This record gives sequence, structure tokens and C-alpha cells, in this order.
Amino acid sequence: MTNPATDARPVMELRNVSVAYHGDIRILQGLSLAVRPGQITGIIGPNGAGKSTALRTLYGLLKPIEGDVAVDGEVVTGMPPWRFIAKGIALVPQNRSLFNDLSVEDNLRLACWSFRRDKARVNGALERAYAQFPILHERRKQPAGKMSGGQQRFLELGRALALQPRVILLDEPTAMIAPRLSAEIYEFIATLPKQGITVVLVDQNVRQCVRISDHLYVLELGQNKVDGAKQDFAQDEQLRTLIAEWVDYRIDA
Amino acid sequence: METLVIIGIVNGLIVGGVYALIGMSLTLLYGVLRVVNFAHGEFVIGGSFLAYVLFNTFGIPPLAALPIAAISFFGLGYVAYFLLIPRLARSDDPESMSFLMMYGLSIALAAFMLVLFEADSRSIDYSFTPISMKVGPVYVATARVVALGVTLVVAAGVSAFLFLTLPGKALRAAIMNREAIQIMGVDIVKLSAFAFALATGIAGITGVLVALVFPAFNAFSGPEYAIIGFIVVVLGGLGNPLGALAAGVFYGLAEQLATVFLPQAMAQIVGFALLVGTILVRNAGFGRWRVSR
Repeated sequence: MTNPATDARPVMELRNVSVAYHGDIRILQGLSLAVRPGQITGIIGPNGAGKSTALRTLYGLLKPIEGDVAVDGEVVTGMPPWRFIAKGIALVPQNRSLFNDLSVEDNLRLACWSFRRDKARVNGALERAYAQFPILHERRKQPAGKMSGGQQRFLELGRALALQPRVILLDEPTAMIAPRLSAEIYEFIATLPKQGITVVLVDQNVRQCVRISDHLYVLELGQNKVDGAKQDFAQDEQLRTLIAEWVDYRIDA
Repeated sequence: METLVIIGIVNGLIVGGVYALIGMSLTLLYGVLRVVNFAHGEFVIGGSFLAYVLFNTFGIPPLAALPIAAISFFGLGYVAYFLLIPRLARSDDPESMSFLMMYGLSIALAAFMLVLFEADSRSIDYSFTPISMKVGPVYVATARVVALGVTLVVAAGVSAFLFLTLPGKALRAAIMNREAIQIMGVDIVKLSAFAFALATGIAGITGVLVALVFPAFNAFSGPEYAIIGFIVVVLGGLGNPLGALAAGVFYGLAEQLATVFLPQAMAQIVGFALLVGTILVRNAGFGRWRVSR
């Protein structure tokens, strides 16, 4: 089974990574994970499996006690989070990441910090965000914290995409979002690979995550229980059963 | 009585301006770094001693000492950041360690100033001409009026920086959400060093103003100002620079008016009553912002 997409060099990797909180509580235990270009890589698993921790470790917000993080095959373990933007990698974290008292536009401008002196590029980024989410343009002068939950999510997505990243990491993009809006957000995420954006999606919403993902990782207790391309999951009854047991969702054959 | 009240208000504004600057710099530093700088009072008094030395040794008047204090203390803060703060990151409990470290720094700096200047109280023997000015029905020392003017300029300047420029907004953003600002590609180490330097620079300026406004200072005056700074920071809402400005003026007015209406000994209690009252009623202070943790 050769697939040029899966055989391409991973854009981001965790290599045998262990992460611990407070010195000894291990959240990740020797987790390896590869993000293939042009795909949506879904990370699922029960609560406490270490999904968000894996994502935060990929982005340098947590430092592994063992193992390495790699970008384009190059080891970047210990690289601080603010260097990832320059490598074309954006993160939309699970907890709210807006600056509530700053205006919508200032939130977008701060995302352009790394090229803030390039006025044309900053304006281009703002225009892209406004074109993608017109509500942001309408509310550009308002404090970000005054918008509804859904609009705030759009701003976080717009802010990340305005940078034209080649990889975007999404942690629970529809947590606390109304169902109808959630569906809209997943449709939107599903279109990103067509725009040349690689996606890493960590989600509790297993149904949607499995539906739009190309490659799945199922984590359990900080380890990779099983992973594979989605068609492998669909074709293998054992894997389908496993997924169904673990995350209560059946992949259609 | 009416004149006393007016004097109280004028003095309250002048003294409150000094408190406001101390509070604003402390709250910026706390907001961005999450470090409570117990040594902030010593940096302020360091500014007073710098003005003292500049005048007594080099004949440089206090107004000319202001930019010197601002620049040298900014540099001092920048160096101090890299000497002190990165060490905290190696601890399992950086916040508790920061208390110990900054308290230790406070003692060390006070001792250092004691060695240099001995324990006597100092004042700058410089007088403006005219020596006092008529403000409404009352006379106020020119030095104090000048200090109020400087306070207004500094407060307006720092506020404009924080609210109108992108680096200033980045500082405020770091106060609002320290993790998110890193995701935006902002180097939090550089930003923190800048915040520490800015806060220390403001402390240096405030020190010169302390020398103009208050009768005397000595190596051990630091904690008096630091404590007032902490009260102002809490009143204004942790990490809220505008709240700290307003709270500083409010505290100054309360303190000065209390001396008009209450016995001297009681007046000193007013500040602490304000602090305790605020913590009991609204533990996030009266500012609109809350520091997210």
C-alpha cells in the first residue's frame, strides 16, 4: 500500500516523547507521532489520554523529558513556542487564546508580530481574515471579549489562518460551540488541505474528527494505542471494533 | 477648614501621582512576569539617591536628572532581568521562589545603599525659583508642582505607549494571556525583559520625584513605597496599569485628606483599611481587567 501522501516526509513529529507534569506525573510515555503534509491528522482517545499534551508538546509549550520534537525532519526539541510561526506553523489552543480587552483588529495585528514592519503583508493578512470571516470586519473595532463564543472562535481561526501557515494545529476547535456552528467549523477545516494547509486536529468530537481526518492516532494513557490511514481503519474489522470500543464511534467500511 | 481641605486635595494629587507611578510600574511588572517585585521600593529610592548624587557631586538639577534616571534604570532593569528571572524558570515552583528572591534582592539593595550613603536621611538641597506657587487660594512648593507635571507627562506617555502602539498592546496582551502572546510569535523573554526594564525605568523617575515631593529619604525607605505600591496595585486590579494610576491618585487623596480630618496616627491606618476593605469586598480590585492565570 503505497501512498505518496503518507510516504512524504512528515512536517512535524514527536519521536518517543515523554512529558511529565510536576516532575513525576507522566502524561505522555514514549509517544511517537508523525504529521504528514497535506493531510488532516486526527488525534483521538479517551479523556486524559494526553491528546492536548501531545499538541502542546508539538508546539513547544511543554518540554519533553525524553524524546524529540521534529519539524521537517529537523530536531527542534526545546524550541520556544514563539519560533513556530516563522516556520509556518500556527496553533489554536483549546483554552481561549484571545486578548479580550483588545479590539478584534488588534488581535489580528498582534498575530502579525513577526512581520509587523511589513505593512503590505500585515494588511494582506487582515484582508484575508476579514474575507474569510466577514463578521470580524464588521466587529473589528470591538473588544474581542465582547463577541459571542462562536465569533471568538472565528477570530482565533482567522487569526491563525491570516498568517498563511502551512500547518495548523487545532485543539478542540468546537468545544463550547453551538452544534450548528460546529458543523460549519468542521466543514471549513475539511477544506484546509485543499488550500495547501496541513491540519492536526485534537478532538473530543470523535465522530467529526474521524469523518474529516485522513490519518488517525488513537491515544491511550499517553501512548499510541493504534494509528493508521483512515481507509485502513475502515477496511480492518479489528481496528473498527477497537475504535468503536475506545471512542464509541463506528467507521463505515 | 476649607483651605485645609484644598491643601489636602492638592497634596493628595501630588503625592498620589507618585503612588500612581509606583503602582503602574509594579502592576506592569507583575502582569507581564507574574513576579511580585518586593525590591521595587529600593529601585525607587535608588532613583532618589541617583538624583542626590547627581546634584551634590555634579551639580545636575533634579529635572535634568530625570532622563538620566530613566535611561540608567531602564538599563539596570534590563540587566537585572537576565541576572535574576531566568533562574526562576529552573525551579519547580517559580512563583514562591520569586517571593524569596525579590525579598532577598530588596534586603541586598537596601544594604548596598546603606553602605554607600550611610543611615542618615538625605534630601536634595535644591530649590526652584520661585520657591512656591499660588494654586487657587493656597501656596504649594514649586518642586511639588513640577513633580505633579512630570507625573502627568510620564503617566500620559506610558499610557499612550500601552494603548496606541503595537509593542504596548503586546505588553497588555501578555498581561491578559501570557500563553497566547507566545503563540502569536512574540518572544516572551524579550518582552518580559522589556517590561522589567520599563518598570525599573519608571521606578528611577519616580525616585527623583520622591526626592522632590517628600522631605527626606534613606536606604531603608524602600519598603514604605513598595507597600503603598502593593496597596495601589490591588486597588487598581492586578495587572491593570490605568487602574493603578487611578488607585494611586485615590490613595494619595485619601491619605492626605485623612490627615486633615483624622488624628495623625489614624491617618496612616486609612491606607491599610482601604486595602483590607478592597480585598474583602472585591478581591480583583476595582479595575475592569483581571489577570488570567
